[in-house]
Amino acid sequence: MSFSFGAFVVETVFGKDGCCAFALGDGTVRFDSGETIEAHPDAGIQCAAAHPSGEGVITGGDDGRVVWSTFEGAKELCAISGKWIDAVASSAESNLIAFACGKEARVIDAKDAKFSRVFTHERSVANLAFDAKGRRLACATYGGAALWFARIEGQKPTMLKWAGSHVAVVFSPDGKFLISCMQENALHGWRVADAKDMRMGGYPAKPRSLSFLAHGALLATSGAEGAVVWPFSGANGPMGKQAAEIGHEDGARVTRVAGAPQGPVLAAGLEDGRVWIADLTARGVERLRADKGAAISALAISPDGKRVAWGDEDGEAGVADSPL
Amino acid sequence: MSQIPVTVLTGYLGAGKTTLLNRILSEDHGKRYAVIVNEFGEIGIDNDLIVDTDEEVFEMNNGCVCCTVRGDLIRVLSGLMKRKGRFDAVVVETTGLADPGPVAQTFFVDDEIKAKTKLDSVTTVVDALHVGQRIDDSREAREQIAFADQIILNKTDLVSEAELEAVEARLRSLNPLAPIRRAVRSNVPLDQVLGRGGFDLERIVELEPEFLNPAHGEPGHVHDEDCDHDHHDHHHHGHAHAGAEDIRGISLSTDKPIDGQRFTQWLDRLLAEQGPDILRGKGIIDVKGEDRRLVFQAVHMILEGDLQRPWGADERRWSRAVFIGRNLDEVKLRAGFEACIAQDA
Repeated sequence: MSFSFGAFVVETVFGKDGCCAFALGDGTVRFDSGETIEAHPDAGIQCAAAHPSGEGVITGGDDGRVVWSTFEGAKELCAISGKWIDAVASSAESNLIAFACGKEARVIDAKDAKFSRVFTHERSVANLAFDAKGRRLACATYGGAALWFARIEGQKPTMLKWAGSHVAVVFSPDGKFLISCMQENALHGWRVADAKDMRMGGYPAKPRSLSFLAHGALLATSGAEGAVVWPFSGANGPMGKQAAEIGHEDGARVTRVAGAPQGPVLAAGLEDGRVWIADLTARGVERLRADKGAAISALAISPDGKRVAWGDEDGEAGVADSPL
Repeated sequence: MSQIPVTVLTGYLGAGKTTLLNRILSEDHGKRYAVIVNEFGEIGIDNDLIVDTDEEVFEMNNGCVCCTVRGDLIRVLSGLMKRKGRFDAVVVETTGLADPGPVAQTFFVDDEIKAKTKLDSVTTVVDALHVGQRIDDSREAREQIAFADQIILNKTDLVSEAELEAVEARLRSLNPLAPIRRAVRSNVPLDQVLGRGGFDLERIVELEPEFLNPAHGEPGHVHDEDCDHDHHDHHHHGHAHAGAEDIRGISLSTDKPIDGQRFTQWLDRLLAEQGPDILRGKGIIDVKGEDRRLVFQAVHMILEGDLQRPWGADERRWSRAVFIGRNLDEVKLRAGFEACIAQDA
């Protein structure tokens, strides 16, 4: 199935019913079942994540609003006037939703409207991520990542330091590692227990997209002509190990990756608009979108690894069943 | 994809930046602008494409002292790209205390920003009444003037013509490249302000800095601020210029063809050694054995150069380069430049 939305696809998200939502730069949320929700009228969506309930999508806009869109419509969860919502994350385990707004990370509870936490940083928060249990929140900022206990008020964060600007973070599913994308062409990782540094460099471009797959045994990233896959098994994670490159093709940079949580299946979106999926235990990749177009800006794989959704910078989008 | 042009508007508080921004946002010029500001609320126009951001200067980890960028700009510009089609161009207003270097470098250092936007100009607004004082007491004001592709000299109705000329002479000593546009209440034609192509190599077609003067003793030499001896109007405005002398523009030229390889090596070395002090550089070079003009532009250590259109049949083939910076040693610069003249020329 393919769509022409006519606006930058910021994110695509699968719901628990297998339905797929696209969050667009024109402020709307589109469902693959055909509904259009005006989530951010006269504004643009900057970020999106699945709702903790698995129904619909939460979006953050440049109107300072955090909105939950379902088939029925849009519901405002929070509004901060004059600011952008730069990043949003959610946890189905803890029902928490976190979003970044300037120097603040804010946490709200999908089931408790009165719950609210504000965590303030010295510099802007570029991105944030929950651990698998939804208890800890990592905030990427200048000079490292701040780790907060998401429900606790009045705490000092644990700072995982590394010089430079950090722009995207993800926890390994077992919570042992935190991985960050740098403003430079490199990843940086920390072992959370002892803050031991892991430098993961060698990228020709900025790795922007991170995805763990196969029960956390592998981490896939964008930023090269092929998806880069790091081994994460064992106590030392990728330390001292080499990354592999999947689906390498000269001149075709990978912009987005999405891995199946339970298996060795990886999807990748390219700068030239193509999309592929691969079983990492087999050879080769299967094309899901063979036509070239604008750079892929959003990519998601359903939790069972059977469907892939994508969208590009010109607003072309699609959903396909995995041929694997 | 076409690159979105970005105009950077600098100037100290009270010079008239906000008035100019209001005009850009409200006048009917057929273009839609996204505006990135640091002092929200001053504009007083309701527009969903006005973005408020805190200036955040980030150092890159590659060890290069020049590679400081504005992290907030990278974030906001990337965000604005998600709304492409809603606007035609971007204006970035800096605070009065901002160093324009990291703002400009952002557009050359960050690959994604470089791919999707292009820096059109750094435009600096100063007011005729106070600029002399600001040049004396504010390093930021001097750097904003020295860095500019064009200077809007505002509030010209508040001073006399003689004072205006004196102010313009001071501005030119800091920045011989930037045209000065006189204005009252920022009433410059907007098509002169926007779409300058100040960093566009293709647009370096004429380089006629105001003080580009034949050397002493040569025909046509005019004694002015840039001669190293006393001359007629030096003390018109009665200031001590101690504060202004750390930044100046130096212009180099020759009618003899240049050895391309030697020049490139010299320029690379110059920027590597003095890049932190060199705010801007521009040049058109006549390379021996090459029919096309070599053009370059530099921002601190960042250098862009290319072979441009061929010299015209009747065109005067000559090389000229201008460097604007702190603590520049004119004698050494000139000697380095002249050592690049092709041997058998």
